[in-house]
Amino acid sequence: MLIQTPAEGLYDELFDPDRRVRPHYRTLEKWLIDSDEAMIADKRREADVLFQRLGITFNVYGQDEGTDRLIPFDLIPRVISASDWQKLQSGLRQRVNALNRFLHDIYHNFDIVKAGVIDAEQVFANPQYQPGMQNLKLPRNLYSHIAGIDLIRHNDGDFYVLEDNLRCPSGVSYMLENRRMMMRLFPELFASAPVAPVDHYPALLGETLRAASLKPNPTVVVLTPGRFNSAYFEHAFLARQMGVEIVEGADLFVRKNKVFMKTTVGPQQVDVIYRRIDDDFLDPLSGNPHSMLGVPGLYGAYRSGNVVLANAMGTGVADDKSIYPYVPDMIRFYLNEEPILKNVPTWQCRKPKDLKYVLEHLPELVVKEAQGAGGYGMLIGPRASKKELSHFTDLLKARPHHYIAQPTLSLSTCPTFVEQGIAPRHLDLRPFVLSGKKVQMVPGGLTRVALEEGSLVVNSSQGGGTKDTWVLEDDQC
Amino acid sequence: MLSRAASSLFWMARYLERAESQARLLDVSLTMALIDVPEDREEQLSVPLLVTGTKEAFDELYDDITPQNLIDFMMLDDRHPASVYNIIQSARDNALHVRGNLSADVWESINLSWLEMRELRKTGVTESNASQIFDWTRARSHIFRGAAYGTLLRTDAFHFLRLGTFIERADTTARVLDIRHEMASASVGEQATRSFFEWTALLHSLAAFEAYQQIYGPNILPLNVAELLILELNVPRSLHACLREIVALLEQIENGEARKARRLANSLFANIHYGDRDYIAERGLHEYLTDFLERIQGIAGQIQRDYMGWQI
Repeated sequence: MLIQTPAEGLYDELFDPDRRVRPHYRTLEKWLIDSDEAMIADKRREADVLFQRLGITFNVYGQDEGTDRLIPFDLIPRVISASDWQKLQSGLRQRVNALNRFLHDIYHNFDIVKAGVIDAEQVFANPQYQPGMQNLKLPRNLYSHIAGIDLIRHNDGDFYVLEDNLRCPSGVSYMLENRRMMMRLFPELFASAPVAPVDHYPALLGETLRAASLKPNPTVVVLTPGRFNSAYFEHAFLARQMGVEIVEGADLFVRKNKVFMKTTVGPQQVDVIYRRIDDDFLDPLSGNPHSMLGVPGLYGAYRSGNVVLANAMGTGVADDKSIYPYVPDMIRFYLNEEPILKNVPTWQCRKPKDLKYVLEHLPELVVKEAQGAGGYGMLIGPRASKKELSHFTDLLKARPHHYIAQPTLSLSTCPTFVEQGIAPRHLDLRPFVLSGKKVQMVPGGLTRVALEEGSLVVNSSQGGGTKDTWVLEDDQC
Repeated sequence: MLSRAASSLFWMARYLERAESQARLLDVSLTMALIDVPEDREEQLSVPLLVTGTKEAFDELYDDITPQNLIDFMMLDDRHPASVYNIIQSARDNALHVRGNLSADVWESINLSWLEMRELRKTGVTESNASQIFDWTRARSHIFRGAAYGTLLRTDAFHFLRLGTFIERADTTARVLDIRHEMASASVGEQATRSFFEWTALLHSLAAFEAYQQIYGPNILPLNVAELLILELNVPRSLHACLREIVALLEQIENGEARKARRLANSLFANIHYGDRDYIAERGLHEYLTDFLERIQGIAGQIQRDYMGWQI
């Protein structure tokens, strides 16, 4: 099949600026050229049927008929060269280390605030800051055991961190199932390309969760909001792969500040909870009193040190968009190192000077809610209508604290199957970083792709798709 | 294992067993209705409704008992919980709940049943292709059982799942036997042929016709049928066979020694194991079965109280 070349000035993962195929894409490019449309169409149908049968579906909020929808899966993998991955890996390790140090600091000594690197107000007035976490000693001083870091590649060819997800990052099951699907559909491809394996992720996750407690052989469970949650499939998948129980709030109870699960042989104590429920819903006695998802008394058990939550409570303050601009400073402050990964320049609208700039340059900028997630409630200046622009001007003036702005970054593109054939589409990357006895990750991550031509929104809730992500074990292939 | 998971596995298996027996029942009734004289046809068609206790629900939703209405009601109608469509949906719902305790093969077999059921409902089922749907339902049930038997770890998850299967099966056998027996006995005086067909239908709906032929030969006698379906240990749907499984499963469940369910099941098992046809004849089949149904439901309830209910 023919591969459409990308527009001038964009960074394409497959073609270099002179329209030559990058070395780490050679095998894949040859395969694409050689394969015919009918075969690909067959394989796409096969993949759809397999995903349906496996039940790998997710729910889109706000769409009635969206229940049990498939996330579109693109058959063309996104390839990352060995040297790019080396750099990403050390950058991610450094960043997550610094973020965990930061979380420990702001719940204990406040060194970074005392040193004047971050304003006290930014930390302590942040709605995600949990005063109740102060002086709580956590094993290994770890807060974000599982972090998902969103990266994009800009025109200049460098990776930029777009967002840190330190609460309950999801999507890792797609990384694993996409790989499994590709190996099933195109075994011959893997014979010719040195693709680094990712399927040991559940084993690493299990190791990380056991290391989150100092007890020998702790009992680990996965706590899910239930089968109507959009990521339920992933919760069950990970629990099964790790060989631990998947529980709902009603399966647990607290007695004498210890957490137990209700089993057929009586109460069994739980030591580590890999929770996929937000802070506020974990315990109706201390958080949202209407929460039916949580466990009454859990917070008390947690404060007593009888159970470990992964991730810890109160991590949200560190992945907030208003804290994001300070991450490079955190790396310098705690680790005394220069940041390896770049941050996107960010205007903080709470600062009058920044706000003034943002209002003057609104059509060029992306405006996001400092607390938002999932691509909801954001403005993409260059795509916005006059009405949207004036609406956001009002919002910014009324509540500048709620917003940050960034330049419109052009996400890199990668060949993708679309109705018109194989065409370049924008994508991002979310590797998953595990912090236990050491910081580990599998070579790869979740690649999300915007399927609409020119679109920069890759969120699955907004119609984005996913791809298998190949990290090569050596640079040539 | 989690009490909630045990409950979901138990009900998931019950529902899937129920889907199969419902398809068998309906299949036989529709076939028998073709043989029957017109005036008996309606009685014949109402058997599945009587066995499943859905006669009232049917009358509310449909005007008359025709084969097509019956097919729609028992297979596809989503307005009442007892249709095969809703039964499979409930099974899939429970399976989703215990996705973490199921092998990929078992989950996929149930998920695929549900996806295909949804398609079937869209296309609809007519009298002429109904038997394909019955075959499909039976085949899906076989695939589920095969996948469960062939791929699940022999832990309590497996035991609770199998308990669901056998509790449901024992319950169905007793109900079908009771209702068919009543109809067959009612027609004894009038015409021997009618009675013969009733007993044949009964054996077919429990997949035991061939077993009968092998053991008793071509003459179909009521007491033989009762003996076969109650006492014969080698017939997979007999009450004796179901109870033996239930007792063995309860023995294997962790920490079951002191539980009441185990005592109830052993007592009922002993009753059948040491019973004989004369005892059943003396007591009267209907009374015997009424008592059995009460006790099997008692065991099901006790299993739930022993292992799945929780008071902190």
